[in-house]
Order: sequence, then structure tokens, then C-alpha cells
Amino acid sequence: MSAGPSRTRRTWVLLLWLAAVLAGVAVISRTQFSADLSAFLPASPDARQRVLIEQLQSGVASRTLMVGLEGGKDALQRAEVSRALGKGMRASGLYEQVQNGDHSEWQEAGTFVFDRRYQLSPDVTPERFSVDGLRDALTDTMSMLGTPAGNLVRPLFERDPTGETQRIAEGLIPATSPRTEEGVWVSRTAPRAMLLATTKASGSDIDAQAIGIARIETEYAKATQGMGADAPKLQLSGAPVFSVQSRDKIKGEAIHLAIVGAIVMGCLLLAAFASPKALVIAVLPVLTGVVAGTAAVALVFGSVHGLTMGFGSTLIGETVDYAIYYLIQARGAAVRGTGWQRWRDLNWPTVRLGLLTSVCGFAALLFSGFPGLAQLGVFSIAGLVAAALVTRHGLPMLAPDGATGMGMRRHMARAASGIVEAMPRFRIGFLVLAVGAVALMAWQGGTLWRASLSSMSPISKASQELDASLREDIGASDGGTLVVIQAADEQATLRITEAAGQRLDALVGEGQLSGYETVTRMLPSVAAQQARIGSLPDAATLRTRVAQATEGMPLAPDRLEPFVASVEAARSLAPITREELAKGPMAPVVRALMFERPGGGWSSLIALHTTDRFEKAKLVTALAPLPEVQVVDIGAELGSLYDRYLHEAFVQVMLGALAVVVLLGLYLRSLRRLVAVCQPLLLAVVLTLGGMAALQVPLGILHLVGLLLIVAVGSNYALFFDQLQETGRADEDTLASLMLANLTTVVSFGLIAISDIPALSAIGRVVAPGALLALLLSAAFGKRRAR
Amino acid sequence: MISGLKTFTDGGLRRARWMLVSLLCAAAPAWAFDLGELMGLLAKQKQGEATFTEQRYVRGFDGPLAASGTLSFTAPDQLVRRTLTPRPETMAVDGNNLVLSRSGRTRSMTLDSVPELQGLVEAMRATLAGNSQVLERYFKSTVIGGADAWTLDLAPVDSRLSSQIAVLRLSGKAGEVLGVEMEFRGGDRSVMTIVPKR
Repeated sequence: MSAGPSRTRRTWVLLLWLAAVLAGVAVISRTQFSADLSAFLPASPDARQRVLIEQLQSGVASRTLMVGLEGGKDALQRAEVSRALGKGMRASGLYEQVQNGDHSEWQEAGTFVFDRRYQLSPDVTPERFSVDGLRDALTDTMSMLGTPAGNLVRPLFERDPTGETQRIAEGLIPATSPRTEEGVWVSRTAPRAMLLATTKASGSDIDAQAIGIARIETEYAKATQGMGADAPKLQLSGAPVFSVQSRDKIKGEAIHLAIVGAIVMGCLLLAAFASPKALVIAVLPVLTGVVAGTAAVALVFGSVHGLTMGFGSTLIGETVDYAIYYLIQARGAAVRGTGWQRWRDLNWPTVRLGLLTSVCGFAALLFSGFPGLAQLGVFSIAGLVAAALVTRHGLPMLAPDGATGMGMRRHMARAASGIVEAMPRFRIGFLVLAVGAVALMAWQGGTLWRASLSSMSPISKASQELDASLREDIGASDGGTLVVIQAADEQATLRITEAAGQRLDALVGEGQLSGYETVTRMLPSVAAQQARIGSLPDAATLRTRVAQATEGMPLAPDRLEPFVASVEAARSLAPITREELAKGPMAPVVRALMFERPGGGWSSLIALHTTDRFEKAKLVTALAPLPEVQVVDIGAELGSLYDRYLHEAFVQVMLGALAVVVLLGLYLRSLRRLVAVCQPLLLAVVLTLGGMAALQVPLGILHLVGLLLIVAVGSNYALFFDQLQETGRADEDTLASLMLANLTTVVSFGLIAISDIPALSAIGRVVAPGALLALLLSAAFGKRRAR
Repeated sequence: MISGLKTFTDGGLRRARWMLVSLLCAAAPAWAFDLGELMGLLAKQKQGEATFTEQRYVRGFDGPLAASGTLSFTAPDQLVRRTLTPRPETMAVDGNNLVLSRSGRTRSMTLDSVPELQGLVEAMRATLAGNSQVLERYFKSTVIGGADAWTLDLAPVDSRLSSQIAVLRLSGKAGEVLGVEMEFRGGDRSVMTIVPKR
């Protein structure tokens, strides 16, 4: 220790390091972690994608929970639990709306519709209030009296003989609603009662969603108290459940991976160094790297996506290499305490170059239009740079001569030498395999990259199936195709929505749609409301017309005096406004179907209930004359989004690879050495891809990121082999460090490969074999100098 | 006979009138004709077309409200009621789907989401199909008369439906339904006369 770095310098470096780590931890502790798909949606979307993103982030679908009560004793018991659960949920105040088929909640809405019928009914026109129009309308309504449907009409007949309430209700009652049994919604296929709830909290507020979900579980426990084993089982699904599940799963998996990784890595390092101190030191750059990466992402993006965190565990594989290189290569100095100086002069340039190539590779991701990929880029760069800085400046202060113990290293070095000696013999074999791999990939062509966006979702298949089954039972419009209206202000949006609605009515008539939901049934534009009110005659005129219209009918005109009074009262009603509705029972519907856009302007949605005769092309043609109206096919839009994402990622990875090659060329200043370094990397990538193709693995964006990691990690190996060739010193320590570094990389990515989270396992399955191949190929293709 | 006794054991003063009638039937074995037999007759008709006229007696109106149109049935579960006067209107039931067309607008609904509506449809559809199992799920039935002139009284089981309709009375001859009468709670009544097309 005597000749190590000076005491003052040591103190300063360590203090600075500690301060930096603490600052990082402070940043992280105040960071929001997200787990929704939104980080994987483009930052600069086109109009339709923007709609999609707004909907995914804050649309009603992102706040909708589906609840199933399955099994138990019988339908009656399920209905009782459903009612108790519904009551408890409504009382909690956490949900904007809780529906379970209990129509009592419609009473208030019904009063509103009845009171405002002359502003809401689309049938209110001047013609309707002419003598002929009145006669027609009366005949219509009377044709329902004395039929079962007439029971609803009869109590209102004197006040609403033209049937406006009926007309509005027709539009409001959804065409497809769940089966009803014992007064509550039930499944058509399973012994199950159903509830549908929308939370007040935004879909992107996962903490609030978790509270909303936990409340359902509490209320369920209360509702089933004392039922024991007879109680129906609670099933939950919907976007909020998925968000919470993904976050928990990613969190759990990240912790799990970190623990298992730490144990396995610890054992490896202990075996290698036989020194607990060395083990602790080796972990320091890793931890600093993870803290720096997370903090950097938090600072740049404001929040950290769960997947980025998961990715953090993959960084262990590369950052621990730096410590291993240092701890082994700084050993054996002639004068005690100078090992770090020797390492700094001899090996640091190679490590630094390896770092720079990695940074170059990941820098390409920074320019990604997808925040998710950009986060991975920032995380990796900050993490790698921090780990390298700690290795370069921090570790010499703690272990100036590297690790002292020998452990198994001699064996490792021997094994490594053996491999280095043996590998060149397999060159031809590798080349043949590579040719085969290229041929296989060429044959599979574009189908090789066939993984979809959903393959990145950590939601289990069972959860997805439950979701589909509950969705089917609810019969809610699946949101597959949406009609979206965007305009500068509220009234313009409403007017265009009304115009779109008229065109959709034609499609309903053709049987393409069974119905649709639009905000203008509750909130017509002021223009439409004024036109309706304007078509109402004054009391005296109406009275005369009613008398004429009822001539020859079995109906005395004075029975309709309440009608005349209602119309007269309606003539002085103020228009219905959004503010008024926001306070009443219609608030959830209005909020779901109309909203102010984050970037300014207003937007409304029309949810379609399609029949099996539905053709999207007809819908698009019908709405084509309205430029403010977009038809968004969510499945297709997500698909095209992913294709764009994949294409962009391809370009970035290519650019990243190109940057790596240029950097290596600048440093090596020799085409021969450049080829020697790049050759094994290229072959490792080709062989890995070939293996994936042979195993029929559908490849996606994360596999692509994995390939970039192979290049980043593998470039270190190739450069060390290059260094060995150039200096001619194939010393045991360097070989042992390479061997150990590779082992830890393969093990850490191997652990990720068996993760439950598809996004992580995709990276692991590419990098684990790829890194091993990169080392073997570097050994095989390193041009050996004559000894 | 069997249905009469069943009604008896089930009790219920509201149905006392029908009970009495069915007990009388039971007393005369030569007249014995039960739901099973009636359904057997009805089930033989797989398809039918008819015209109908309807008179509805609604309180507060000075005279009956009239309607007429056509009916068609195809076993097992398609039923179309097409009203021609005073207002063209179509109600078509196919399986679990109900499509209503009136005043140039079409609306569809699923029957099982509105149990009381399903009950009403089944009163007609299950009777025409001769499906006693479905019929008995929604109604307490009472058969009076014999094969050449029968009356089938249906009292709703479902509380929502029975809060609207007191009784449905179908009448006919052999496998043909010739009349449907509905008594609503509150005193309104409708009488439909059916003439099968031959």
C-alpha cells in the first residue's frame, strides 16, 4: 500500500464517488417508475397514432376494469355478491362508474333525458310540429300503447305524446349488452356475474390504479364474508390490471434476477479470486453503473420505464467485466502499489476503446423516435461510462495492485490458453456454419422478423385469455375500430361529430353497424340545440295544431294540455353545456367520449358496435367527406407502429454498428487489424441469428438490441486479442480475465434468457450465446504471430 | 290435467280461477288435454305464415287502437311480426337477436340482456315451436279445452314481467295459434286475431 495513490488523492476520489452515488440515489428515490406501453410508442406520431397514444395513455379503456364473479353456489348467490360488491365500489368514490346490470343508476339519467327532451331529440324539427308531423308522431306513439313496449311510454304519454324520450333512449341503450339474470349482468358462456367499472384516476397513474384494484378485492372480501368455500371467485382484468401486473412483475423479476445474478456472480468471482474483498470491489462498478444509468434516465425522461430497469440487470454482465479486467490485470507489479499504474498504461486504453465502441453502438439508440429505445440508450451509456470511470479512478484507490488471491485463476488461464490454442482449428467449421446461417436467413427472409408488439408485453397468456373472455361477456365495443373527430374548439368538434353520426346512421340502416356511442346524444352542439328549440311553436299555435292533428283519433285534445305546457317551458331552456353535464350522472359518458387534447383543441370519439357484415372500407368511404374525422383501426395502427419501430431500430442498429467500425478504424489505423477485430463480431452476430432462425424463434426489436450488445461486449474480447497479437504477450492473467469476464457475461445473460418477461428473455437469449461465440471466434480468428 | 294439479299444489290465489277450470277438466277425463299434448301438436308445424289484426284497449282513449300486419315463424327460433297499419314496423327475432325497424330506423338488441323481453318473445316463439321446456322457464301454464279448441294461459314467473303483464292467453285449434290476448297490469288489454295463410 505504501506506494499506492497518495492519501489526499484517495480521500478526494472516494468522497467524490460517494457523493455522486448518493446524488444518483437521491434522484432515483424521487423518480416515477412506469410500466405501460407508452414508452414504446413514438414521440413524434402522425395524427392517427397520436389518437391511439392518447387513448392508450388516458382513454376510457385505460381506466376500465372488468370484474368477474365465477363459480360459487348458484346464480342467485353470484347476483347478491355482485350487488353488494357494486354497492361497496360505488360508495368508495374511487370509480366514476360501476355497472353490473342494476339499472337503478339510470333513474337520474332518465330524468335528465326527459327534462331536456326537446333539446336532445334528433326528431325535433319544424315539420314535426306541423299538423301532419304531429299526427304522424302521435300515431307512432299510439302504435306502441297497449303493447308490452307501451308500458314505458304510457306514463309519459300526456307530456311527451310525440315520443321524444323514447327516441333518445333508443340511441342511448347499447345494442350489445351482457346477458342479465337475477337482475345483474352474467356471462353467456360461464357461471359468472360481471361488473364493469371505470376509475376516476387516470390510466397512467399506476399507483392510483393499484389502489382501485385493491379496493375491489377488499369490497369483494366484505361481500363474500362468511361464505367460506362457497364464495364465487373474483376475477379481474382490464388495462389497469395489466399495468399493475406488469409493473409488479417487472419489479419482482428485476429483484429476482439481481439476487440470483449476484449469488451466481459472487460464487464465480469468489472461485476466481478466493477473496471476499475482491468480490466487493468487483461489484462496486456494477452498482455505480446501475445507479448512474437509472438516475440519467430519470433526469432526461422524467420517469423510468420498468423495462429499462429490467435491462439494468443485463448491464451487470458488461460492467462486471471492467472490474475483472482491472483486478486481474493490475496484479503482479514489480513494485508494490504500482499495479494500477501499469494497468492504466497497458490495459486501460483497450478497455477504454471497448467502452467507446459500446457507447457508439448505444448512442444510435439515443436518436430513436421511441422513448423506450432512447431510454435503453441513455441507461446503457451512462451506466457503462460510470462503471468504467469507477474502474479507472476508483478501484486503484481501493486495490492498487488488483486482487491478491489466486483462487481458480490458474486453471482458468490454462483453460483459456487451451481454447486459444484449439480454436483456430475450427475456423473452417465456423465459416461453413456462417455460410449456412446466411443461407437460412436469406431463405426465411422477412419472416424472420415476425415478432409483434404484443410479444413485448409481460402479460401472461392466461391473463390475456381471461381478458378476452370477460370482454366477450360484457359485449363492450372492443375498441377495435374507433372514429375520432378533432377540431379547434368544443362546438366545432360537436358539430362535426353530429355530421359523422348522420353518416353512421346510414351504416346502421345497412346493417353494417348494430349501433354506436357518441357524445352528441347527451351533448348536442349548441347550434343543433338552438335549431331544435327554434322549431317549437308557441302554446297557442301548438294547441290549435294538436286539435287538428287529433281529429278522427280516439283521443281528446285536452288530454295533451301537459304536452303544450312542456313545449312552452322548453322554449326558454338554456342550452345544455358540458359544464352542466360534468356535474351530473352523464359525466362518465361525456368524459369518455370527449376530451380536451393535451396539445390544444378538442377531440371526440365514436365507439362502434359492428356486426359481422361490417366492412371497414365502407366506413372509411362514408366518412371521407369529413376531413376532421379519422377512422382508427387500433390493431392495424399498433401493427404499423411496430413495423415503423422495427424499421427505425434496424437503421439505428446499423448506424451504431457503422460508428463502431469507424471508431475502431480510427484507433487501430490498420485495415488488417480492423478486419481481424470485426470479423469475429460479424460472425458471432451471423451465427446467433442463424441459430435463432434454425430454432424458428420470431425475432423482434429486443433481439435487435441484443445483437448490438453482442457487438458492444464482443468488441472488448476482440480488442484484447488484437492487443495480445500486437504485443505478442499472451499472458496468463489477460487470458484468465477474458475467460472470467466472458463467463460472467454468459451467466448473467443466461439468467435473463430464462426470465418470464419476454422482453428480457429476448435479449438474454441473443446475448448469452452471442457473447460466448464472440470470445471463441475472437480466439479462432485472431491472426497469430509466429512464436 | 297434470298441469292443473301442479298449479293446485303450487298454490297461489291469483290463479284460483284457472285452477277451478282445470279441475273441472280433470273431472271429465274425455276432455283431458294437457300441455304436453298441445306442444306435440304445435311442434309439428315447422313453418307458418299468417295475417293478424289487433285491437288494443288502452285507458284514457275513447276507442280501441287498431293494428294489422303479418306474422311468420320458422322453427326453431325465427319469428317476424310485420305491422302494416297504422305504421309500418318490423320486429324480427332470430335466436338471441332482436331487430326492430320503425320510422326508417333499425335497432338491434340481445334478448338475454332483457329477461322480461325474452319472456314475452318466448310466449309466442316457444309456443309456436312446441317447446314446453322453454315456456315453463318463463310462465306457469294452464291448458283448457281440447285439441280442436284450446286455450293456453301463461302467467309470468319473472317478477319484472309479471309487474307489467298479468296474463297472456293464446288460443287455437290443433297445431295452429289463432289468437293472442294480453292483460296488462293497470287494466290495458290487447286482443290479436290470427288468420293462417294456406
